Amino acid sequence: MISLLRNQKVRNALLQVFYVGSLAALVLAGVVIARRNLAEQGITSGFDFLYKSTGWDVSFSLLPVTANDPYWWFFLIGIINTLFLGSIGLLLATVVGTVVGLARTSSNELARLLGRTYVDIFRNIPLILQAFFWYAIITHLPTPRAAHEAWGMLLTSRGLYLPAPNVGGVAMALAILPLFAAVALPVWLGRTSRLSRPVGERLVIQLAGIAAALACAVLILIVGRLPDAPLLDFPALQGLNLKGGLRIPPEFSALAVAIAIYGGSYIAEIVRGGFKAVGKGQVEAALSLGLSPWRVFTLVKLPLALRAMLPILANQYVWLIKATTMGIAVGFTDFFMIVALTINHSGQTLEAIGILMAGFLTINLSLAAVFNRINKAIALKGNQLRG
Amino acid sequence: MNSTQSPGAAVRIENLDKYYGTFHALRNVNLSVERGEKIVVCGPSGSGKSTMIRCINRLEQHNGGRITVLGTELNDDVGNIDGIRREVGMVFQHFNLFPHMTVLENCMIAPMIVRKRPRAEAEATARRYLEKVRIPEQATKFPGQLSGGQQQRVAIARALCMQPQIMLFDEPTSALDPEMIAEVLDVMVTLASEGMTMICVTHEMGFARRVADRVIFMDGGEIVEEAPPEEFFTSCRNERTRQFLSQVLGH
Ligand SMILES: Nc1ncnc2c1ncn2[C@@H]1O[C@H](COP(=O)(O)OP(=O)(O)OP(=O)(O)O)[C@@H](O)[C@H]1O
Ligand SMILES: [Mg+2]
Repeated sequence: MISLLRNQKVRNALLQVFYVGSLAALVLAGVVIARRNLAEQGITSGFDFLYKSTGWDVSFSLLPVTANDPYWWFFLIGIINTLFLGSIGLLLATVVGTVVGLARTSSNELARLLGRTYVDIFRNIPLILQAFFWYAIITHLPTPRAAHEAWGMLLTSRGLYLPAPNVGGVAMALAILPLFAAVALPVWLGRTSRLSRPVGERLVIQLAGIAAALACAVLILIVGRLPDAPLLDFPALQGLNLKGGLRIPPEFSALAVAIAIYGGSYIAEIVRGGFKAVGKGQVEAALSLGLSPWRVFTLVKLPLALRAMLPILANQYVWLIKATTMGIAVGFTDFFMIVALTINHSGQTLEAIGILMAGFLTINLSLAAVFNRINKAIALKGNQLRG
Repeated sequence: MNSTQSPGAAVRIENLDKYYGTFHALRNVNLSVERGEKIVVCGPSGSGKSTMIRCINRLEQHNGGRITVLGTELNDDVGNIDGIRREVGMVFQHFNLFPHMTVLENCMIAPMIVRKRPRAEAEATARRYLEKVRIPEQATKFPGQLSGGQQQRVAIARALCMQPQIMLFDEPTSALDPEMIAEVLDVMVTLASEGMTMICVTHEMGFARRVADRVIFMDGGEIVEEAPPEEFFTSCRNERTRQFLSQVLGH
C-alpha cells in the first residue's frame, strides 16, 4: 500500500480524481443553491422560456423579426448580428492594420512617423470611448433629406442606406456558399498547383476560380429573386424618411469604425512584428538572385511574415470578437445585448448567461480551430535553427 | 597592387571607400579579378571582407571609387544593378535558403522569374545542379529538414541555377561541423576546376592552397597583402599577415 502511494503514476491519478471530484462538488453545490434561490423568487429554471415570444423588438436584424417571435429566434438574431459586426470589424481592422503596419516598416521616414502616431493615439484610447466618439459623429450627419449620396448609397444621421438585393432568404443563404468558395478556391488551387504550374499560369487559374464562384453566386441571386421586383432595391426619399434598401444603423457603423480603428492599431503592431521577424539573410539571398524588390516582397517577405503573424493575429481576432459586446454601450443589438434584454424581461439569468457563454465559446473556439488548421498547413517544415 | 587593367576583367574595384555612418569600413580598396580567376580573401574578424564582397552585388552601397562587373559599372542605375545581380551568384555563411519552399523550388524560383525560363527547363536545370552538388534525392524536402552541409550545397545549387558568370562566397563553411566542411569544399573545388570565376572569403587555407590563383589579406578595411598562394604562405612580407597566418595555421 505504502509502496503503491510512492508510485508516480498512481499519485498523479489520485490527484486527478481528487481535483475532478472537488470541482464537481463545487458546481453541484452552486446549482443546488441557485435553484433554491430562484424557486424562492418564483422563477422556474430551465430552457422552456426559449419557446415563449419575447414581446419586445430589436432595432437591427438581418432576419425578419417581430415581437411575437420566440426567444431562441432572438438569440439567433443576436448571434448573427455579432458575427456580422465581428466579420466586418475584423475585415476593416485587418485592412487598416496592414496599411499602418506596412507604413511602420517602410523605408520612408514620413510614413513611419505617421504609422507610429496612429498606433500611439488609437491604441491608447479605450475602445468604448472610441465607439461613443464615432457614434456622436455619425448621429450628427445630415438628415435624410440632405443625405450625402454616392454609388446608390446614402449617408445620413439615421444610418447608412445601401442598395439591397430583392432576394428571398433561402437564395441569400445559398449564395453565401459560392462566395465562400471564391475565397477558399484560389488558396486551395494555389497550394495544389504550386509545383506543377508556372506562377503566371497559376494566377490565371486562380482568377478563373474566383470568377466562376462569383458568377455562381450572382446566378443564384437572380434565380432566387422576388417576383416582379428589380434585382437591386435602391433606397430613396419618401416623405421625410428613406425607404428601401438596407439600413445600417449608426450604432453598427460606429462600432464597426471603432473596432476597425482600434483593432487596426493592434494589428498594425502584429504586422510590423511579422515583417521584422523575416530573416535579413533570406531577403539578401533573394536580392542577390536578381529578384526585384516587389518579387522579394511577395515571394519571401510576405509568406514568411504571415507565418510569424498568424498565431498572434488569431488571438487578436478572438479578442476583437469579444470586444463586439461593447455594442451594448451604444445600443447595438448584438448577442450580448439580446442576452441582457432577455435577463431583464424573463428573469432567466443563469440560463441566458449560459447561452451567452456557450455562444461566444463556440464562435471563438471555431475561429481558433480554423487558424490552427491554417497554421499547421503552412508551418515551416523541419528544424529552423541555424548555425 | 598588381591590379591588371585589361578590359576583360570580371570584377574591377578601384579606390573603393565604404562608410558605416562615420566608421570607415573600406579604405581605398583596389582589386581586379580576371575571368576564370579564383580569389581567396582572408583576414581577421571585422577587417571588411564581407563588406567588400557584398559591395560587388550591391548588398552594400559603396561611398567612393568605382566597381565594374563584367564591363558594367555598378551605380544607382537599377538596370545595371539587376543586370549584375543576374550574373553574380552569392553563397552566404548561414545559407539563407527560403524555408517555405522545397529544395527544388528554392532552385527554380529565380530562373523562372528573373530569367523567364519555362518551368520544365528550370526544373531540369535545378535537378542537374542538385545532382552536381550530390543531393538529388533531397529535391522535394524543405531546407529545415536538411543538415547544415546539405543546406549549404543547396544554396550553392540555387546560385548556380541562375547560371552566373561569377560566384561570391562569404565564409561558406564557417557555420558547419568539420565533416560537413569537406563536402561543401569538394563542391567548390569542382566548381573551380570547371573555370568559374570565384571570390571566396574563407579561412580554409587548404582550399586556398589548392584552388586560389591569388590570396588576399585584409586588415582594418584595407588590402594589406596580395599574392599567389605558395608565395603568400611561405614568404609574406607583412607583419600582420604573418601573425594572422600563425593563428590560422598554428594548430
Ligand atoms: N551594417 C553595419 N553597420 C555598422 N557597422 C558595420 C555594419 N556591417 C559591418 N560593420 C562594421 O564594418 C567592419 C567590417 O565588417 P565586415 O562584416 O565586413 O567584417 P568581416 O571581415 O567580414 O568580419 P568577419 O570575419 O567577422 O565576418 C566591422 O568593424 C563591422 O563592425
Ligand atoms: Mg564577414
